Amino acid sequence: MGDIHEGPRQRIATAHLARYIGQPVCFVGRVEKIHPTGKLFVLSDGEGKHTTVELSEPLDEEISGVVEVVGRVTNQATIMCMSYVQFREDKSPFDLELYNEALKIIHEFPEYFPFG
Amino acid sequence: SQNIVPCTVSQLLAAEQVDETFRIHDVEISQVTMVGIIRHAEKAPTNILYKVDDMTAAPMDVRQWVDTDEAGGENVVVPPGTYIKVAGHLRSFQNKKSLVAFKIMPLENMNEFTTHILEIVHAHMILRKNLMSASRVPQSFSSAGIGDVGGYGGGGSLPVNGLTAHQSQVLNLIKNCTVPEGMSLQELKFQLHNMSMSTIKQAVEFLSSEGHIYSTVDDDHYKSTDAE
Repeated sequence: MGDIHEGPRQRIATAHLARYIGQPVCFVGRVEKIHPTGKLFVLSDGEGKHTTVELSEPLDEEISGVVEVVGRVTNQATIMCMSYVQFREDKSPFDLELYNEALKIIHEFPEYFPFG
Repeated sequence: SQNIVPCTVSQLLAAEQVDETFRIHDVEISQVTMVGIIRHAEKAPTNILYKVDDMTAAPMDVRQWVDTDEAGGENVVVPPGTYIKVAGHLRSFQNKKSLVAFKIMPLENMNEFTTHILEIVHAHMILRKNLMSASRVPQSFSSAGIGDVGGYGGGGSLPVNGLTAHQSQVLNLIKNCTVPEGMSLQELKFQLHNMSMSTIKQAVEFLSSEGHIYSTVDDDHYKSTDAE
């Protein structure tokens, strides 16, 4: 399968999940809830729609705020997370709605923002 | 070439190389900006090698030369997991592309990451538009760089069809202005006594968003992107 980070990972929102089943993706969203087992958490995107993110190993830290997940879309349209990063919001809050607008634009103009 | 073009890693990898120069959409590019997350950082005596990832391809090698005379400051290694904006030159060695950075800035406000995405689409759309336009002449971008407000019009004659009479009048006055800081709104009002200030402002806003003019010293002064 290889390291997913060595190739393109399409930036998507919840609405795109069904279209990218099996594909490597990058999802940015706000943490809504974390499952008690720590193996699952839910993120909301810039349109407020929820995506479930699954982990092979439980979280070893508390996550909150805006998180960027890299992973593969499962058949159930969840994301199997390979890595994640928390966006810093110590100086300014991250405008997730604006990011969603940018996503719409890069999906509309893939010739000017190619993945791969 | 004086351009500084915001790019994705995928665009940098796809840039065509002819001898010592690189071209994207047939425009020669040299200086680029790129935003990504540091996946790996390696410090050597003379340089720091980062692997920077923007999700569009595999992480790209970004090398920052270390000033061996200077102690500290410039040469602190930015830790992996940090989102950075890189300004640098595209290089290729043994068919492998990399960047040599002259500036590496950790992002303090992640909204800059979103803005960069939008700037990339805009810049590449303009580059492509110039390639496709009927009256193509050698490209010349404002030396202030592509990140500035307004004009990316480049050389050649932009069609004035599709402009209203008011917009054409305003554009012509701005085009013929030889003052270095461009034409002011006040001067436009003085010359166009038939037009209200709000009509002039609307025309200026439209012309600016279409790339015919750009603001200079402030939002009250404009020059034409077509000016010789």
